[in-house]
Parts: sequence; structure tokens; C-alpha cells
Amino acid sequence: MDKNSNFYTITYAAILTVVVAVILAFVNSSLSPRMEANQKLATQEDILRSVGLTDLEDAASVYEKTISSIVIDSKGNVLDGISAEEVVVADEFKKPESEQKHPLYIYTGEDGSKRYIVPLYGNGLWDKIWGYMSIQEDLNTIAGISMDHRGETPGLGAEIKDSPEQYNDPYIGKKLYNDSGEFVAVSMVKGGIKEPDHQVDAISGATITSDGVNEMVYRGVDYYLEYFNSLQTQTSSK
Amino acid sequence: MEYVNIFIKASFVENMVLSFFLGMCSYLAISKKVKTAVGLGAAVVFVLGITVPINWLISNKLLSADGLLGTDLTFLRLIIYISVIAAMVQLVEMVVEKFSPSLYSALGIFLPLITVNCAILGGSLFMDSRGYRLGEASVFGLGSGFGFFLAIVAIAAIREKLRYADIPAPLRGLGIAFIITGLMGLAFMSFIGIKL
Amino acid sequence: MSEVQVAEKKQTQLLGKKERRLLTDPFNDNNPITVQVLGICSALAVTVAVKNALVMSIAVVVVTGFANLIISLLRNSIPNRVRMIVQLVVIASLVSIVEMVLHAFQYDVYKQMSVYIGLIITNCIIMGRLEAFAMANKPWQSLLDGVGNGIGYGAILVTVAFFRELFGKGTVMGFKVLPSWYEPNGLMLIPAAAIFLIGIIIWVQRAMNKKLVDIS
Repeated sequence: MDKNSNFYTITYAAILTVVVAVILAFVNSSLSPRMEANQKLATQEDILRSVGLTDLEDAASVYEKTISSIVIDSKGNVLDGISAEEVVVADEFKKPESEQKHPLYIYTGEDGSKRYIVPLYGNGLWDKIWGYMSIQEDLNTIAGISMDHRGETPGLGAEIKDSPEQYNDPYIGKKLYNDSGEFVAVSMVKGGIKEPDHQVDAISGATITSDGVNEMVYRGVDYYLEYFNSLQTQTSSK
Repeated sequence: MEYVNIFIKASFVENMVLSFFLGMCSYLAISKKVKTAVGLGAAVVFVLGITVPINWLISNKLLSADGLLGTDLTFLRLIIYISVIAAMVQLVEMVVEKFSPSLYSALGIFLPLITVNCAILGGSLFMDSRGYRLGEASVFGLGSGFGFFLAIVAIAAIREKLRYADIPAPLRGLGIAFIITGLMGLAFMSFIGIKL
Repeated sequence: MSEVQVAEKKQTQLLGKKERRLLTDPFNDNNPITVQVLGICSALAVTVAVKNALVMSIAVVVVTGFANLIISLLRNSIPNRVRMIVQLVVIASLVSIVEMVLHAFQYDVYKQMSVYIGLIITNCIIMGRLEAFAMANKPWQSLLDGVGNGIGYGAILVTVAFFRELFGKGTVMGFKVLPSWYEPNGLMLIPAAAIFLIGIIIWVQRAMNKKLVDIS
């Protein structure tokens, strides 16, 4: 058969396409359970890290035991029929505010104490940054934060993940509301902390990443304020 | 305004060549003369400006789980992207051959090699991982191409001048080109954080 | 046996002199990065840490080796007009598989490197070896050539990553090596540092190996 004839060329291309598509589809379907499990586990570990649980041997079962979740809409109403796992924060970020859905995770410790864990998502210097912040039952004091990024500079912006003792732990114990009851959140600041309850040290040399963190923390918690208010009126009316 | 920001970011702050060091192969091989560098740069602007939006459409409207085909075919992403790029480069090749035969022979093998230029595929992959909308993706494609154009013309000009410099033998040619590229990369870092 | 027959026998040895040279030449004399000027793109962002550089190197060895093998097996049947497309499809499929395997078995590495794994497709080394070798040579030799070039590439990558991680973070493979009084050198962590290091490696290599001066 003439190797360069049209018929041969087209048949060859067709067979190659089919073979390649079949092989890739096969590999994809046999590996996709593992791929999804990995992604799920990574998210669970991030959530647990925000309440201070790290280096767990079986993060999945700790998660099963201690974390429950709900989804709220932009007005603070709880939505039924949708689980937190189905909400992709990255996609919600792109939607207009009124259409966004927000997952909320609730951690119940062995002593019965609760923490509310809020997902964070925003823009770093090079690419997206995200994380989880856990809040005490008083809905004011921060219990922990974990952060991650895709392309921040190692040694600078990447420190939000690489140096948790330096840039995550300082958030613990800070307060979201000031003495007048206004929501001010907690910000990274340069040049020294002036308001100990609401400020932590920024990463030197990583101004834009630090600004990104501040923005994502403020907006990330802000989404849940209406829901938190309704929780507080519920508990105070008991 | 957001579009202008993306364009500026893609051409300066996140220059494909000088910030991510993608597209180095053809960049180093072609940059000996400014004229050919301009030709290659223009071809890259065109290819990036067209392939990024097309690949966006394919990735979001065809391969995604809620696209036209209904199932999640994202594992075919890489193959389809590179095929689109190959087709586009073939088109550019034909156009250049017809309208500027001298440029065509000057570029030689490097015109079809644009297909495997990391910067081109990189443009589509970055567009993917950043989740741009269509308009943003198009501007990003054009901006990246423009950034590549700037970088390659700049280093071609520098290397033309370098021919008269007294460089130690082991460093001549490739070695000094790398060092200079590194210095340019450092210089481009000064653009970080520019926002209009 | 006549001389011709002896010579033919020698040519198809499994690890004869020629075959061993396929594995060792790309390490120094014909190094893909410092001599052939190929494959630099993905080299830079992944050399921030030795672990990432190792993963990338292994991926490139696998893809280059198997791509060379497959194309060499197909070399007599590929129609001329679609030659480049066939090569690209083979490379892209192998890279897609590597990406999925990483996603499934080394998720944290995958998260950091996913864009750069995809960019292996455009790694000029692979295309370059397919055209220069696999299209005209037998499968076993092609496999060795692919693996050899992958190793040469990996050697440079790991060297650059070693210095960047050591001086930029004080660690190697995540283990703290330099004592705590060492203040990490931030310059090593920006991409430009990788370029400088490769330039210096080229300088050193050409000073030691006079054959390579002015070669490119």
C-alpha cells in the first residue's frame, strides 16, 4: 500500500486517534477514583489543619467523626439538598455575589466545643490563594487558620503555607469584631502591630500576597456574618 | 480596565520568557539577529492570540462536564490543545511563505517549531489553571504574545552588540546568553505589582 | 565466520559499546540542555526544590524513552504528511498518562507542578530526539537514546535544584542541611537564579571540555 496515499494517511490518522482515545480513557477511568480520593483527602486535611489538627494518620476518619457541614446562600439562609462537598469555592468566586453559595464546616471536639470553619479564597500575587479559618463558638475569636497557594514566590508569598508557625499561628486568639461591635476582621500589617486584637505581622517582601490574604480573610468571613448573626439571636433567645 | 491590567501583567510582570522562562529554545536560537527576532515574535503574538481563546472555548464548552458533550473529557485537554496549536502554526507557515518568502527562509525550521514552543502551550495551560473568562483569556493570549515579542527583540539587540565584546572562551555564545537573560529576568521583576 | 558477519553480529548487541555511548554521551558531550540547547523551558520553575526536579526528570526520562521506542516501532508505517502530528499525539498521550499517574499517586507533587508536567509535551528534547534518532533507528537503540537524553537533562536539573534549594532554603529534599545561622539567600529562589546557574554550569563544562567551546 502506498504510504503516502490519501487513503492510507486518513486511515492511519483515524486508527491512531481511536487507539489513543481508548488508552487515555482507560487510564483515566481506572485512576479517577484515586484522583478524586486524593483531592478530597487534601481538602479534609486543610480543614482539619485550621483547627490545629496536623500530621494525622487517618485524617479521613477524624474528619468523619468531627466535621459536619452546611451550605448557606448569600443571605445567610441554610440551603437544603446540597452538600458542602458539591460546592466548589473557586467556581463560586466567579459568580455574582447574589448567586454565590457558601459551605460552612462545623467541628465538634471531644469536649463538645464547636468551631466554625469558613473557606477563604482570593488572589495572591501570581495566582490564587485559599485556605480555611476556624472560629470559636463566640463567633468572634479566631481558633486557627490554614492557607495554601498555587504560584506564590517561595520564601515570600509561599510562606503562608511553608511557615505556619510564623504566619498562621499568630491569627489564633485574634478577634473579628472590635469593641464597638463592628466587623473589622484581622489583617496583616507592615511596620509593627498597633491593634493587637486585629492585626498580625505581614510577610516582609510579600506585600501583595499579604494584601491578598487580608482581602480574602475579610471577604471570606463577611459572607457568613448574616448567618452568624442569626445563630447568635437563636442562642440568645434560648 | 481589568482587561488592560491583564494585558500589562501578561506582557511585563508575568512575561512568558523573562518571568517564567518559557519559550527559551527558539528564543536562544533565533535571537542572533533583530530582524528575524521581530518576525518570530510577530508570529508568536498571532498564534498565542488565537489559540488561547480557541482552547478556552474547547476546554469550557466542549470538554467540561457541563459542555456540549455532556461528560468530563478533560483528560483529552493536552492532546486537543497541542493539535489546535499545530493547526494554527501550519496556517501561519502558509501565510508567511506566501507573503514574505525571505522571512520564511530566515526563520527556517523555527517557524514550525513554534508548535512546540513552551510559551504557546504554556499560554493555554496558564489560562486553564487561572480560570479566566473568555474575554480575559483572549487579552491574556495577546499580552503573553506581546511579552514574548518584547523579550526576544530585546535580547536579539543585546546579542548583536555582544559580538564586539571580549568574552572569555568558555562563556562565549550560550553561556553569556543565559547570564544576560537572567539579568533581564531580574530587571523585569521590578514590574511586579503594577496595577492601573 | 567472515568479517562481515562478525561486524553484523556486533551491531545488534544489547549493551555494546555503541549502546552504552547512547546512554552516556548525553551526560556530557551531547548534553541536551548545555550543548543541544533543548529543554530549558520546564527546567527552571521546577528547580526550586530537589524533589520537584527529580520528579520532573523521571517524568522526562519515561516520556522520552517510551516516545522514542514507540515512534521507532512505528517509523516505517507513518505517512509522511502527518509525521509531526503523529509524534505530537504520541508525546501528548504519554504526558497525559504521566499526569494522571502523578495525580493519583503523588497528589502534593502534582498540585505544585501540574502546569509544568503538561509542558513536557513541548520539551524540545523529546521532539528533537524523535526527529534526530528514533525516526531512523531501531527500537532498542531508540529507547536507550531517549533514556540517555532524559538522564542528561535530569543531571542538569538536579544540580541546579541542589544549589537553589541548598542556598535558597538551607535544605536538600526537605531535610535541613545548613545550620541555623545560615540566612537563606532569597536570590536563589527566584527563577532568574536558575538561569544564572545554568550559565555558570555551561561555563564550567566548557572550561573543562574544550571541545564544546563556541559550539553554540
